[in-house]
Amino acid sequence: MTAASGVRTHCSYCALQCGMSLAPSGPGIPGPGGRAALPVAVAPRDFPTNRGGLCQKGWTSATVLRAGDRLTTPLVRGDDGELAPSSWDEALDLVAARVAAIQAEDGAGGVAVFGGGGLTNEKAYALGKFARTVLRTPFIDYNGRFCMASAAAAGNRAFGVDRGMPFPVTDLDGAQAIVLLGSNVAETMPPFVQHLAGARAAGGLVVVDPRRSATARLTDDGPDGEAGLHVQPVPGTDLVVLLALLHVVLAEGLADREYLDARTSGVDDVARSVAAWWPERAETVCGVPAAELRRVARLLADASPSRGGRGAYLLTGRGVEQSTQGTATVTAAINLALALGLVGREGSGYGCLTGQGNGQGGREHGQKSDQLPGYRKIDDPAARAHVAGVWGVDPDSLPGPGLPAVALLRSLATPGGPRALLVHGSNVLVSAPDADRVRERLEALDLLVVCDVVPSETALLADVVLPVTQWAEESGTMTNLEGRVIRRRKATEAPGEARSELWILAELARRLAPAGLPADAFPTDPAVVFDELALASAGGPADYSGLSHARLDADEDAAGPGLYWPCPATPPELSDPARGIRRAEPDNSHPGTPRMFLDAFATPDGRARMVAVDHAGPSDDVRADAPLYLVTGRVLQHYQSGAQTHRVPELEALVPESYVELHPLLGTRVGVPDGAAARLTTARGTAVATARWTDAVRPDTVFMPFHWSGAGSVNRLTTDAVDPVSSMPEFKVCAVSVEPFAPADLSDPARGSHRAGSDASLDQEVPA
Amino acid sequence: MTTSPLRVPHRIVIVGFGMVGVRLADELARRDTGGALDVTVLGAEPYEPYNRVLLSDVVAGRTDVAAIAMPLPDDARTTVRREVAAVAVDRVARVVLADDGTRHPYDHLVLATGSAARVPAIPGLDDAATGPASGVRMPAGVHALRTLDDAREIVAATVNTPRAVVVGGGVLGVEAAHGLASRGLDVTLVHPGPAPMERQLAPEAGAVLTHGLEATGVTVRTGARPSEVLVVGGRAVGVRLDGDVREPGEVLGAGLVVLACGTVPETALARAAGLPVERGVVVGPDLACPTDPRVYAVGDCAQPPEGSRGLVAEGWDQARRLAEHLVSLAAAPLPAAPPEQRVPRREHLRLPGDGGPSMAVRLGTLLSSRAPSARGVDARGTDVVKVKAGDLSVVSMGVAGAGAGTAPGQRAVRLADPAAGRFVEAVVADGVLVGATCVGDARVAADLVAAYTRRTPAPVDPAFLLLTPVMPSAAPATSPEQMPDDATVCRCNGVTKHDIAECVADGAATADDVAEKTRATTGCGSCREAVCGLVDWLDRSRRSDDTSAVEVAAPR
Ligand SMILES: Cc1cc2nc3c(=O)[nH]c(=O)nc-3n(C[C@H](O)[C@H](O)[C@H](O)COP(=O)(O)OP(=O)(O)OC[C@H]3O[C@@H](n4cnc5c(N)ncnc54)[C@H](O)[C@@H]3O)c2cc1C
Ligand code: SF4
Repeated sequence: MTAASGVRTHCSYCALQCGMSLAPSGPGIPGPGGRAALPVAVAPRDFPTNRGGLCQKGWTSATVLRAGDRLTTPLVRGDDGELAPSSWDEALDLVAARVAAIQAEDGAGGVAVFGGGGLTNEKAYALGKFARTVLRTPFIDYNGRFCMASAAAAGNRAFGVDRGMPFPVTDLDGAQAIVLLGSNVAETMPPFVQHLAGARAAGGLVVVDPRRSATARLTDDGPDGEAGLHVQPVPGTDLVVLLALLHVVLAEGLADREYLDARTSGVDDVARSVAAWWPERAETVCGVPAAELRRVARLLADASPSRGGRGAYLLTGRGVEQSTQGTATVTAAINLALALGLVGREGSGYGCLTGQGNGQGGREHGQKSDQLPGYRKIDDPAARAHVAGVWGVDPDSLPGPGLPAVALLRSLATPGGPRALLVHGSNVLVSAPDADRVRERLEALDLLVVCDVVPSETALLADVVLPVTQWAEESGTMTNLEGRVIRRRKATEAPGEARSELWILAELARRLAPAGLPADAFPTDPAVVFDELALASAGGPADYSGLSHARLDADEDAAGPGLYWPCPATPPELSDPARGIRRAEPDNSHPGTPRMFLDAFATPDGRARMVAVDHAGPSDDVRADAPLYLVTGRVLQHYQSGAQTHRVPELEALVPESYVELHPLLGTRVGVPDGAAARLTTARGTAVATARWTDAVRPDTVFMPFHWSGAGSVNRLTTDAVDPVSSMPEFKVCAVSVEPFAPADLSDPARGSHRAGSDASLDQEVPA
Repeated sequence: MTTSPLRVPHRIVIVGFGMVGVRLADELARRDTGGALDVTVLGAEPYEPYNRVLLSDVVAGRTDVAAIAMPLPDDARTTVRREVAAVAVDRVARVVLADDGTRHPYDHLVLATGSAARVPAIPGLDDAATGPASGVRMPAGVHALRTLDDAREIVAATVNTPRAVVVGGGVLGVEAAHGLASRGLDVTLVHPGPAPMERQLAPEAGAVLTHGLEATGVTVRTGARPSEVLVVGGRAVGVRLDGDVREPGEVLGAGLVVLACGTVPETALARAAGLPVERGVVVGPDLACPTDPRVYAVGDCAQPPEGSRGLVAEGWDQARRLAEHLVSLAAAPLPAAPPEQRVPRREHLRLPGDGGPSMAVRLGTLLSSRAPSARGVDARGTDVVKVKAGDLSVVSMGVAGAGAGTAPGQRAVRLADPAAGRFVEAVVADGVLVGATCVGDARVAADLVAAYTRRTPAPVDPAFLLLTPVMPSAAPATSPEQMPDDATVCRCNGVTKHDIAECVADGAATADDVAEKTRATTGCGSCREAVCGLVDWLDRSRRSDDTSAVEVAAPR
């Protein structure tokens, strides 16, 4: 079902960035169910990542273009406390004046910026530049901190660079074994499952997940019987599983010694550290039988090239990364992959499954508190000089590192913390941990400005809401989970007065006009922004300098192999920042880098660094008054905080409300029948959700998806403890107690506020 | 941590460079970021630190000897003297004397001397027999299993002899017997009790274990004990049995005899120094000797109030607690607050000043948050015995063994399935699992350990603990007929059997037609076969329902 006609672009949601084409729908053709006509019709397109498949989110993505409550004019909170439509000038003047006033009082750091992993590369770049050159605030971070930071930190430490998958996703097709750690691709990116077919046929799919997720179920129905195995550890102990696997690999002599000698450093320390994790001990901590751990280790070793296998991959996802030991866990996965000689070899490897649409690109162009474009470090003088040169500003005018997301949110409107926040492409109120505290901080701000396409929960708290364009209405680039730079193309006009963030930033820059910033510093043509981004990235780890919109288009027109960064334009020595950027003729012959590390790693000595790590357990572990584990995750029909997908009736009809999965044995123990309302309580707060009995969860664990706000918001329960290296919060595990939720509790204000959601869940029980 | 640069470092001497001594040195180095400590470790063994627990795996050939090396303590902060044994402690002068003539003054002394294998007093073994193996000269072919040398020698011996006798059916004996059998030796396990591992296992469970061992090729002789080791030319050639024998004076021929007759805490140094010693070195809940607060004991040599089971998890937990204590003593001249309150809330599992994740190996966080209370230390979680015997799964924890679960308030349920080689017992009190035994079911064993160590709520009916808890599920639909109407066929697009049936009723005749209408099969594509089958079946049944339809074009 590949559409020949229509605008070639990619899905609006996740990092698989499924290819789709958007054909203009004839005017007057009503949308499904007699709803407003949609401007475009979605058809899947044959692209290597999705091979013509789309999930339900992708199929219905056009509905969000005409969401009933789509924002079409700026909104400003009036004296009556209500948000009311305003003109762009009015809204932008207001923002600029308030920002200037706050900065006059508090200095540059009085204003903070929060970005998103869904923004195009161009927008992410412009946002980082805006924060550093117009606001000159150190305080910018983004929601990618919630999903990518641990894998990024571990990848940078081990390989010297972080690209989620350092190989094309289609390489997975030929693998004999694939281990998925904490990733539920069957729900989060269904078309990806096609790439697991080879491993499943070989009986080599291993899914490590405390829940028998849809992905875990893929292990038991292979074409020839068993497709692999599901390893079901106690939540928060994935690291132990990995340490034990490496133990077995070393103890049984299954490691690739030649590779370890030639391409890695640090193996001795790592080997000693895993000597303490023999499988029987690991079993007592992670709840996975020792024999099963040995089986997985052997299965992986058999598939490894050094032992004559067809190739093996280890892939991590949020399940293991969103943890106070997320960086350590990814490091352990990398150590295991290195010991087996998988990384930097065609047909094998380690990868992280990026989640958000531009979760990869979003972390490369300067939205992170400690980074400048090209994945450069903001505290590196050479990087500062290079980027300042491209921006035409004094390097000393650039701020230093700010605070990572959780710390930034915690600091808002606290003494010395920012008093104003600009939010772009993020619904922090629902997606950040310890949501009740986030609400407190946001409410305490002097100025909250939110750019969004719909009135998200965060937007509804704002003083100024700015309507922006979304995927089918804009042009730009995204970098998908493979590090492939792809084009997003415009297929239709945005409704009303919605504008691109590029325009908004340009307008704010014009109004704030800081001294020393070139007047044309904020172009609004995405192709022009990209060219500047490419220049700024030159010589950095994520080098885009050999790319342009035109080159990307040409490659696609010619059915080329795709372009993956690093794709430098000039020999690196010419872009040496110390000598200024002296690009000769633009040289766009570099083919890009589909597979990284084939010859060397991006570390100073070219070797991958193995780092010894150890298990400490979750920050909020079970105890007498919270004796169960709470794990969180996604469902197929919804995306992130649900700001988009809750507005798609087809999706909403299938999963209309928050729920909590619990094992029947636990349900009977705590007195919560299937379908009844359950109250969950943690050290942070309380949530109410409808119970779903299932043996897919361990009896010591409950699962809640995180797509809802209000009473059913699981992030009111999660902890904001963070990984010490990556600052990524521990979304995936905390201690909880579960009890029946009695309707009487509704009228008991002391029980906390659970308005909307709990009403809804009670309505469910009343026979219609 | 604020330490005055002028302060003289606090001298800590650790005697014993075994599993717990090494761990203690490591825990101290990690916590002492300010250099307030001066740590010296004396170790009688010549080796780099190694994982003693894995010696059974070395014997079994399951692990490479090179893979049992443990992390070295930070040499910048720790002085390690290998192959140096402490010979005396002068507690008045606060000095340890070593066998190489060196003297090691201390502010605090930690004994981590471990234990030694017990050698039974039987003819054939040295006259000085009863007592620890160290220093006892034994005939060639007879070995205890305690040190790396022991393990190496046993492995070497397996090359020269086809038959082995393992004396003693405790955990170690079972592991050794199973390991030697897996090397292809003809192994007899001689155990005086009625069934192996009676300290941990009820008789019924022990019987199941016996069968399990026999299935792996081990001959189990219960009720029998060795009365003599037969030695010819300085070499063991067999063992004479006593007790339940097949004939009077029965002899088991064997060129390799492994003694696994229990361990004796290594207390000589403490005893000579006048410290209270019972079975082990007596210490209080704070691990200090009651008569000398400057001397502590940890690991197998210690006898804390809650008792010692000789498991490494206990010793590591003690090492962590003691390290916290010693660092706080060195750091704070004033009486220190209890260590667990000094640690910041959100980082209570990580060490201050340590940029990376903690290196301290812990048995889950439960242990790290556990502090000695008035009643002593709660040992829950450190007392899980898990036998390392390949696919033969044996685990016991907490309240277990003969007569377990008979105390008031406890409820014991058991599943005895000897024919299938399975025995499971769970003891529940106050709604949580307080003990369990599981032989022959690895999955259930792992679940029991998780429930036990974490105190998660036990099922209302504890009998559910005896099996892997699964929901009764309908048999998988083998034909489209049996599939419920609301069953999801295409997950990616949320398409049910009902939706597809409607489509077919509307005239769809192929999977592509259905895809066009419902998007089924257009996600990951795994449901394509199911949709094709369903469409075929629906189409066929539609036609057979309506016999006249054959000639009629499907309604569009
Ligand atoms: C084969 C085998 C398998 C085991 N399996 C398990 C298992 O599966 N699970 C489990 O929990 N436990 C197991 N154990 C027990 C575990 O090994 C011990 O609990 C652990 O080693 C105790 O550590 P320790 O430091 O107290 O003593 P040790 O490891 O015995 O170390 C003591 C060290 O002190 C030295 N020393 C003694 N006296 C002096 C002196 N005067 N001067 C200097 N040095 C001295 C000794 O030479 C030795 O190196 C096993 C033991 C063995 C032998
Ligand atoms: S949400 Fe992801 S998997 Fe689904 S269609 Fe869009 S890009 Fe593909």
